[in-house]
Amino acid sequence: MDTANGNATSASAAPAAPAQQNGHREDPGGFKLKFCTVCASNQNRSMEGHLRLALANYPVISFGTGSLVRLPGPSITQPNVYKFNETSYDSIYRELEAKDPRLYRANGLLNMLGRNRNIKWGPERWQDWQIGMPRVKKETDKGFEGMEGGVADIVITCEERCWDAVIDDLLNRGSPLNRAVHVINIDIKDNHEEASVGGRAMVDLADSLNKVAREERDRVGAAAFDSGSGAGRASFDERVPEVIGEWQERWPNLPATWTLAWF
Amino acid sequence: MASTPAVPISEQLQQLQAARKLALENSAYYDRIVKGVLPVIGPASSIELKRWGAEFLAESLATPVLSMRDKESLTLAVLDTLKSLLESEQDDAIVLKASIAAAASAYPVVLRWIIHNSYHTDAWEQISAIKSRILRIWDGAPAPVRLSCIKFAQRVVLAQTTSNGQEAKYGGLDISLGMVPANHPLLDPRLMEAEATGLLDRMLGVLQDNSSDALLVDATLNCLSILIRTRPSTSNRIINCVLNFNPLKLANSPMTPKNKVLMKSMEKTTRMLMINILKRDPNNQHGGRIQQYVERLMRSRAEIFDEAGRKRQLADQAAAQYGDLKRQKMEGAAAAAPGPAAPAQPVVIPPLAPGPQTLAAVFTLTNNRGLQAFDATNIPANLVAKIVARTLNTLDQSVLDFAVNGIRSRLHTLQSAAVAAAAQYAAQGAPVQPGAINPATAPLGVDEDDDDYEPNLDAAEDTEQILNKLDNAPPETALDEYADPNAALGLGPFNLPPPPLIDADIASKLSSVAASRVFAPLSSLTADVPGKKPKAGINRLAASSYDRDAWLTVVTRLATRSTFGLEQEEQQQPAVKTEDGGAVSRPPLASTFNNATRELLYTYVLEDWRRRIEVAVAWLCEEWYNDQLTKRSGNLKNAPLHYEYWALRLLDGFMTFITAQDKVLTRFLAEIPELSRELLGKLKTLCGDPNTLGLAMTSLLYLVMMRPPVREMALDTVGGIWIEYEEARPLAAKYLSKWRPGWVEQQLQLQAAQVAAGVGGNGAALVA
Repeated sequence: MDTANGNATSASAAPAAPAQQNGHREDPGGFKLKFCTVCASNQNRSMEGHLRLALANYPVISFGTGSLVRLPGPSITQPNVYKFNETSYDSIYRELEAKDPRLYRANGLLNMLGRNRNIKWGPERWQDWQIGMPRVKKETDKGFEGMEGGVADIVITCEERCWDAVIDDLLNRGSPLNRAVHVINIDIKDNHEEASVGGRAMVDLADSLNKVAREERDRVGAAAFDSGSGAGRASFDERVPEVIGEWQERWPNLPATWTLAWF
Repeated sequence: MASTPAVPISEQLQQLQAARKLALENSAYYDRIVKGVLPVIGPASSIELKRWGAEFLAESLATPVLSMRDKESLTLAVLDTLKSLLESEQDDAIVLKASIAAAASAYPVVLRWIIHNSYHTDAWEQISAIKSRILRIWDGAPAPVRLSCIKFAQRVVLAQTTSNGQEAKYGGLDISLGMVPANHPLLDPRLMEAEATGLLDRMLGVLQDNSSDALLVDATLNCLSILIRTRPSTSNRIINCVLNFNPLKLANSPMTPKNKVLMKSMEKTTRMLMINILKRDPNNQHGGRIQQYVERLMRSRAEIFDEAGRKRQLADQAAAQYGDLKRQKMEGAAAAAPGPAAPAQPVVIPPLAPGPQTLAAVFTLTNNRGLQAFDATNIPANLVAKIVARTLNTLDQSVLDFAVNGIRSRLHTLQSAAVAAAAQYAAQGAPVQPGAINPATAPLGVDEDDDDYEPNLDAAEDTEQILNKLDNAPPETALDEYADPNAALGLGPFNLPPPPLIDADIASKLSSVAASRVFAPLSSLTADVPGKKPKAGINRLAASSYDRDAWLTVVTRLATRSTFGLEQEEQQQPAVKTEDGGAVSRPPLASTFNNATRELLYTYVLEDWRRRIEVAVAWLCEEWYNDQLTKRSGNLKNAPLHYEYWALRLLDGFMTFITAQDKVLTRFLAEIPELSRELLGKLKTLCGDPNTLGLAMTSLLYLVMMRPPVREMALDTVGGIWIEYEEARPLAAKYLSKWRPGWVEQQLQLQAAQVAAGVGGNGAALVA
């Protein structure tokens, strides 16, 4: 038994430095938490988070909680509105490009959609997500690896409103799967710059959480005998609020809320 | 298994992972794969395998892809392994957590199965053993295990209390005490309910103790919603318990980052649960108390957290555009308000600094730097209007006069400076260019002179610029000039340039644009509810209210009357008007707008013609009325008539879509003001189709019976139909024999005679 443990333990030194670069990094392997990012339209903030987490080699999926996908149009009263689950990023991209390429390039929409269509097919709605339905047909999605089971350990929302919608929806579903999930809100303003900052903060949070989760996994046998005393020995679930508290100190401008809910 | 140590564990895990993937891809494999891995993940296996196994079991028993039947066989097969995992594993929280989660999914499934298969005592004994084992390790277990225990207890409570049937029918959530028959050999509903009540109390214990362990509190709160909603016997107990829970108890302890997270989390989770309950059941008997509780929570939360929030906001602002805003505010306040009890402090209007001024500077009366830098054009116009109206309302007249005079004297100063500069310019005869000095050709020493540079002398151009700007300024800034016409700045009268001439093409384009804009409000206007519309009878005004009917009246009248009396003038010019309406190649100017509106009205009616038949009738009435006026006034001999043309077009339009059920056709023909032979003749085409034949004939019959003036015309049409359409003959003959006795026989004889005379061609043509 002990000889076999070596493989898993060696991978435990997960990098959690906040100064982590944003792009690709080496996949350290080993245990990984599964993430789910949520914003209103599954376009800007959740997709930025989706991409960043996927590049950091985490399994990740993303959703929007709005009733429709809303993108800015030529004026505030003329938004471009699309249906969730039925419209692909690519078709939105092509439509907006045909409408007014100058405008939509200038306000960054085409750039964003261009990024999104390389991440997954189209915006998905949280409320329509069948939690636990296997996601085996989505091999081309970024962050697909590890998400086959169709559940997440951590849900990160990008706005209080979305957090509320997620919790409300989970309460309504009645938690049939009996699976605990940490739902964390990070307040990110809905613009490209803030989304980028928020994406970095998400990776930082994910790294911190994953480090703690991995420590729990690596504690086997003898070490586990005196579990239950000392912060370092505490379980992953217990340490989540502590990790968020520390993270909040590092990111004071992104107020966070957390709860433990059930799928 | 311990007996197969040959394969390294990592490889085994990889194989298991591949098997799991197979099951995920095709749910048909679940049964085989789960049963296949059971020996590998047994209590004797290594910890990695047990962890993987427990998690896989939890996933498989919860998966939404399997039906209840599949899940039953799966669940019964794994009970034994589950039990041994729970009993053998003392320490590993991950194994225990996942095994208990699997047991939570298994419990209702097994219960349901036992209800229908009471002979299967084994399964019941196994699940009972699992239950008592879990309830035994609940207290004192590590946090993750306790989480799972809470959820397990919740599933037991859910399964052992009576449902009100409002839950979703998936995941076993609908399995309840109501399904257990009273005389079940294994299950005693009363004992089960008592057990459920006990477990619920144990779950709620964490709230009753006002625990500050947010993890357990959140886990408990987040699984209560479905109990409150669907298990009425539990809801009072739970709601009372939650209402007595104080999630902000931690506020008294030191505000460490972790404590803040915990407190916020418990407060928000409690609030979300209560709001969810209120939302799902607004008439809840506890509604009032819940409302109060939620409000109180929000207030306390605001008190505890607001301080921090406010500080952050100020820090944000300080980093904003104007540097240290806080200090500026203090300065400004000190300068502007010497004391709080000085209501009418004198307004000081500082004289303008010498030199060129911007227009904004001329009108700026405040000393506050921050306010000076504020760009008022950022405020939306309607807001500005509100602010201005309110300010003017409350402003002291003397202060306003003083301010206006202050600005006026500034402008006077500027004007005199400009005059002086102009005089100087004339005297020197050479322009003085400020600023733009080419460094290459600049005289030596000009840099040192910069400090002594006296811009007052060179004000000419700048003053002119200011005056130009004043001319172009929007009226609100120019108000002061209107207030005193004597303060004119030496400008001549200003006339708008004459509008460009419009040729026929542009006019027709503009007409159609105007016409389409007339239709724009229709989509947003709602139709009046028929019930509440008072009937004013003959005294009503056509368009007294702003609803869709009223607007349609306006539109139809615009289309028919707006150029009444103008058309014939164009008509008198040779070869202009072609009476073919919409597709006029060169329309006379006056009627383009009308025709465009008519065209749009036609489209509007046809878009939903069954419902808009009233609009069509109203429109045709207007057309007819207009035509009558045209005919009556003697000097409009050549003016075109529109009624007939549009009636025909509308009818043609309907005919394309008409089906046998469309009684509206009858109504349309009955209600339009005038019928012609040509119009009725259109009905003949309907008779070619046996489906619509009846409709055409009924419409005609209706006209014969109810509109005596057109009776002859309608009967003639029926006659025509009798002659032309063989299949319509029985029906037509019926009507004809009643209203024109003898006609059919006469026709038959006539035809017989024609055939006999050998003029078959004529008859064939008639039949065709």
